[in-house]
Amino acid sequence: MAKVLLDPIGAARETFVDEPTWSAQLARMGERGAALDARRATVRAGWGESYAARVHERGKLTTWERVDRLRDASSPVLAIGTLINDQRTFGAEARPSPGAGVVTAFVRVHERWVVVIANDNTVASGSWWPQTPEKIQRAQEVALRLRLPVVYLVDCSGLFLPEQANTFPGRSGAGAIFRANALLSAAGVPQIAGVHGDCIAGGGYMPIISDVVYMTEQAYMVIAGAALIRGAKGAEASSLGIGGPDVHVHLSRCADHRVPDDAVLLGRLREEVARLPSAACSYYRYGADPAPPRFDPRELDGLFPVDHRRSYDMRQVLARLTDDSLLWEVLPHVGPEMICGVARIGGLYAGFVANNPELTAHPERRDEHRPGGILYREGIAKVSQFSRACNDDGIPLVWLQDISGFDIGAEAEKHGLLGYGSSLIYTNSTNSVPMFSVLLRKASGAGYYAMAGLPYRPILQLGTPITRLAVMEGRTLAIGAYRTRLDEQFEIVAPSEEEREAIRAGMRRVEERIESDMDPFGAAARRDIDEVVKPSELRTYLEAAVEMAYQATGYRRVKNPRIWSLHDLRVLLG
Amino acid sequence: MFRSVLVANRGEIALRVLRACRELGIRGVAVYSEADRDAPWLEQAERALCIGPARAEASYLNANAILQAAEQCECQAIHPGYGFLAENATFAARCEQHGIAFIGPRAASIRRMGDKAEARRTMERAGLPVLPGSRGRLATAADARRAAEAIGYPVLLKAAAGGGGRGMRRADDAQALERAFDEAAGEAHAAFADGGLYLEKLVVPARHIEFQILADAFGATIHLGERECSVQRKHQKLVEETPSPALDARTRDALGRRVVRAVGSLGYRGVGTVEFLLDAAGQFAFLEMNTRLQVEHPITEAVTGIDLVAEQIRVAAQVPLRIVQREVVRTGHAIEFRINAEDPQDGFRPDPGTITSFVEARTSVAGARLRWDSAVRPGYRVPPHYDSLLGKLVVHAADRPTALAAAEQALGTLAIGGVRTTIPFQRRLLGLPAFRDGVYDTSLVERLLATPGAAAAGS
Repeated sequence: MAKVLLDPIGAARETFVDEPTWSAQLARMGERGAALDARRATVRAGWGESYAARVHERGKLTTWERVDRLRDASSPVLAIGTLINDQRTFGAEARPSPGAGVVTAFVRVHERWVVVIANDNTVASGSWWPQTPEKIQRAQEVALRLRLPVVYLVDCSGLFLPEQANTFPGRSGAGAIFRANALLSAAGVPQIAGVHGDCIAGGGYMPIISDVVYMTEQAYMVIAGAALIRGAKGAEASSLGIGGPDVHVHLSRCADHRVPDDAVLLGRLREEVARLPSAACSYYRYGADPAPPRFDPRELDGLFPVDHRRSYDMRQVLARLTDDSLLWEVLPHVGPEMICGVARIGGLYAGFVANNPELTAHPERRDEHRPGGILYREGIAKVSQFSRACNDDGIPLVWLQDISGFDIGAEAEKHGLLGYGSSLIYTNSTNSVPMFSVLLRKASGAGYYAMAGLPYRPILQLGTPITRLAVMEGRTLAIGAYRTRLDEQFEIVAPSEEEREAIRAGMRRVEERIESDMDPFGAAARRDIDEVVKPSELRTYLEAAVEMAYQATGYRRVKNPRIWSLHDLRVLLG
Repeated sequence: MFRSVLVANRGEIALRVLRACRELGIRGVAVYSEADRDAPWLEQAERALCIGPARAEASYLNANAILQAAEQCECQAIHPGYGFLAENATFAARCEQHGIAFIGPRAASIRRMGDKAEARRTMERAGLPVLPGSRGRLATAADARRAAEAIGYPVLLKAAAGGGGRGMRRADDAQALERAFDEAAGEAHAAFADGGLYLEKLVVPARHIEFQILADAFGATIHLGERECSVQRKHQKLVEETPSPALDARTRDALGRRVVRAVGSLGYRGVGTVEFLLDAAGQFAFLEMNTRLQVEHPITEAVTGIDLVAEQIRVAAQVPLRIVQREVVRTGHAIEFRINAEDPQDGFRPDPGTITSFVEARTSVAGARLRWDSAVRPGYRVPPHYDSLLGKLVVHAADRPTALAAAEQALGTLAIGGVRTTIPFQRRLLGLPAFRDGVYDTSLVERLLATPGAAAAGS
């Protein structure tokens, strides 16, 4: 039977969370969400009102205004890398670099998802800070892997020179941006550039490889600014004079079209996108329409317990992410510590792999229960097969992580979890189907790797305000570090109260260190998470991600559901 | 054409759909709950399967059981009737996953029109007049107040997931609105799992006029005229008639064209009913659209000669519509009386029980035809678990006066023993001057009930 039968999952919130717990959970997420919003607002403000005013005085739009005009009115602006360089300052003047001075976001233009890379002209004239090149390349990587058009809104004075040692020479430094331009072009991915401002050095090179380049009357592109050119002062030459549209549109042909201002330019960029192939998403919906979940996705903000050690029902999470809250759960009775299933999101098929945080029965000793959020042999095998099948079938995979790690101890070793885990790693490492990982809560140790964490090259890795990303929980590490001073039950053994207190303090410091390492905002600032989003925003991001995975055709396998390998799995394994 | 269709409903509508299947040469498969184990309509099906206990949630609303029954019986399509799963977008989507044709519109259309606030906006954009009201859902009581101030009191707060008169509250001023908002949201959440509200100007007096549309899967859309449904008690229709005494041919054609254009622009498929309010000044305003077959469809069938259920099945089977608008000709006048097992003398309390006797309606009025859509017969036990509709008496005659005369005779002869019925009440309604003159509105029943001794059995 080659049908994809999706079953209803989930229940009304009142049936599984009581009012006081719900309020507490919602309030906690609300607090964390507010902290996230505050940081987003800081990035959004750039270097502040006065810089925005300066931009406006010159008859230009700010970067965020440009992004807003570029997108379809109905399109969200889904940014990534917002928190890069968060809390960092540079140099003696302690300058901040909000968003690393560049906006990288997904927006729809004429119903096609595009990757926008826009220098923030209110932050040091759009120049490149440490991590700016990497942020730009990450956006270019998404475009390359999903074959999405890239729109560059260039307004960039090159490297932020005081920090040049961290941005100029390296393998992933500024030069790699142009290399990525070249690779995108070689792969046939459309790149469209709008030049809005003072583009110097790196900024000057930025648009050139793009297929079409528009310049406003105020824009210029120069290898070096007039300040560095001999005799420039005498000849009263200006950067605009030597590198403006008069030169580049007519004499050098480094740009293609001149337009009066930002607004007209953005209109022209939209027209270019409209000439590109339309999104194939509705083709891959196979006649279905997108449908919202039966339960409000905003309820996700209240589903996670305040205490990170407590469990919850992951299927209620899935019910608020999937169309009509329908899921075909594959092999539900094997490896119940993992949930693997296919659902539609925005009408498009996606595979979901999620940890089950709740206790589950041991497969052989049925009355024994094992903690959730752990990988045991059956769960690993199930996930491996599911991952392979989705890869074979071209079904994009969404990994919802809330994992403490692999099982440990005698049984784990005897069962060969090292081997099973490695098999899963191998599969994920060699998959070509787009994968997206979401660090819902815990993302620990080898479990984080097994669940397609960042080293396994998901297209995007999202986090939430309660993500806990570390090799292990602080308490575990402290126990490991102080093992010789603890007894069989991990209680401190010490001759005096003083010593006991010293050990306690030492263990506490270790825990605190890990706790601070786990801060998702910190991880995002270091680019270990592409974007921190509220659980209530997850559905929007995932819907966009899956649409982006089905937008372009001709570069990846997409099997029609009739002949999915998953159907064979069901026949063989029930 | 389908070989086998599952009828996911009960009572008179199950009988109706099974008849249509038989006439089209389709195997009809019925499903029943424990309470309907010995139901008379099951004999009309080629196969019947029990899908659960009496409670609707466990049987007629049990999508899993119904889908499994359809698979087991190798049905190519499911007809949902009205009520139950007929306007359940998720069920329609699941049918699609199974490759089983849902005899109705696409899931997205159901969803779009099922959100009454969204439907308002959609139809406004599609060119239909709407009442002054909020743009979409109201997020807070303050939003409600702002919207109400802009359009003027009195206003009606309505549940976005409601419809059919459920989840509505009147507010005459800002304080009342403030109070009503939270209560209405709570009630809506409890009843529909969705506390969303929107707001419209309250228009009284008004007439309820609805247009029947029919569209195929290839973009062809026609209308089959209107029905007047202003005889309502607590928003439940009791008597419907077509044509409406309030419309002339020009108005009908003009509005019909607009409805066809609007619905045609939405990619709608199947039968549907677009409901309007007609105010005292003769202005129409869109209220909501029902994306299913209506209870009162027989009066439209009577005057047009078009079999709506057969057309539904054809549309679902990807057969192009063979009827064009100019071929839709209405002949005569038809009135339907819904006969419920309810006690009009006791606040219309449902009166389930066993039917002990049945005398069918008769008329000797020349040229008048009667139709009785019902599953009851002597010995039938009306279960308490479902609605109390016993049957629909439809009268069709050359004109309205003749139809009224025939209706009087028909209601006078129709006799159902063993349960209390609304027949006496219908006879009183028929006798009201306002009804006889065709000059009535949605306050008709209220006013009748307010007069002393109104509910007593008429002579």
